[in-house]
Amino acid sequence: MKELDPLLHSQLRLAVMSILMTVDEADFVYLKQQTAATAGNLSVQLDKLTAAGYIEVEKCFVGKKTRSVCRVTPEGCRAFEAYVEALRTYLHL
Amino acid sequence: MEEKHLTERESIELIAAMIQRTKGRLCLGDGNIMLLWGYLTVTVSLLVGGLLVWTGHPAVNWLWFLIMIVGGTLTPHLARKKAVDAGVKSYADTISSGIWQAVGYSSLACIAVCLGMMLLAGKDCWSIMFVFALLLVGFAELVQGVVVKEVSLVAGGAVGMLAGVVTLACVAARVALSAGWFLPMFIAAFVAMMIVPGHVLNHRARPCR
Repeated sequence: MKELDPLLHSQLRLAVMSILMTVDEADFVYLKQQTAATAGNLSVQLDKLTAAGYIEVEKCFVGKKTRSVCRVTPEGCRAFEAYVEALRTYLHL
Repeated sequence: MEEKHLTERESIELIAAMIQRTKGRLCLGDGNIMLLWGYLTVTVSLLVGGLLVWTGHPAVNWLWFLIMIVGGTLTPHLARKKAVDAGVKSYADTISSGIWQAVGYSSLACIAVCLGMMLLAGKDCWSIMFVFALLLVGFAELVQGVVVKEVSLVAGGAVGMLAGVVTLACVAARVALSAGWFLPMFIAAFVAMMIVPGHVLNHRARPCR
């Protein structure tokens, strides 16, 4: 049986990846609203996903505020698909 | 949401819940950009039509450029504001944005060709801008309507295309696009293409904010 990717097998990181898989891009505020996570926790988890190459984060300025826009990378897409496939095997779906 | 270990069942449920939540949050987008182009085109059409009747001077037709100048300047600002307000960009948004960018660049190319024909060959072919405005914009809107599954966009686009075909037929048959019948048709087409769908989109988008 395939092993579940430990990076994705975590509540907040999986939630973020699930959202980013269904859209082209989403900003930090949107992800925070959708996951109901704290800014600090979300920031840490986004850093982990970025370090793994699963997502890319683009920072830009909107007026005087910074805006972080997140997108899933092709590698992240493959990892997510493999994770879901592994889940299906575990659950006999 | 806290960091906790998930069971396989919880993982699947979380993925499904997030996809569902994202789907539910996606809006058709507000219709302000369409309203801008719609009201701008109608206002300039009325202005040009009124001045043509009043003065009869063909130079009044240069005022048509107001549509491109004002619309082209304000649209990027509105689009940026919309993107920031929404916080998310769906695949449908990306397709729509690409379609309208293609229309924008095509219109610049069309203007360049008309200017070139006028300055280099001394030929007046500006009437194809009307064909372009109705046919290509109508087609783009119809495609966008199909992508986002919005009937008002599909219907508006179809009306625009129909008016564009009529205009094209008139240009090909050398029938004069006189202000008496053409301007009312042009204005009615833009009301159907931009103003009505713009208000419909704004009405639908409201609960999503």
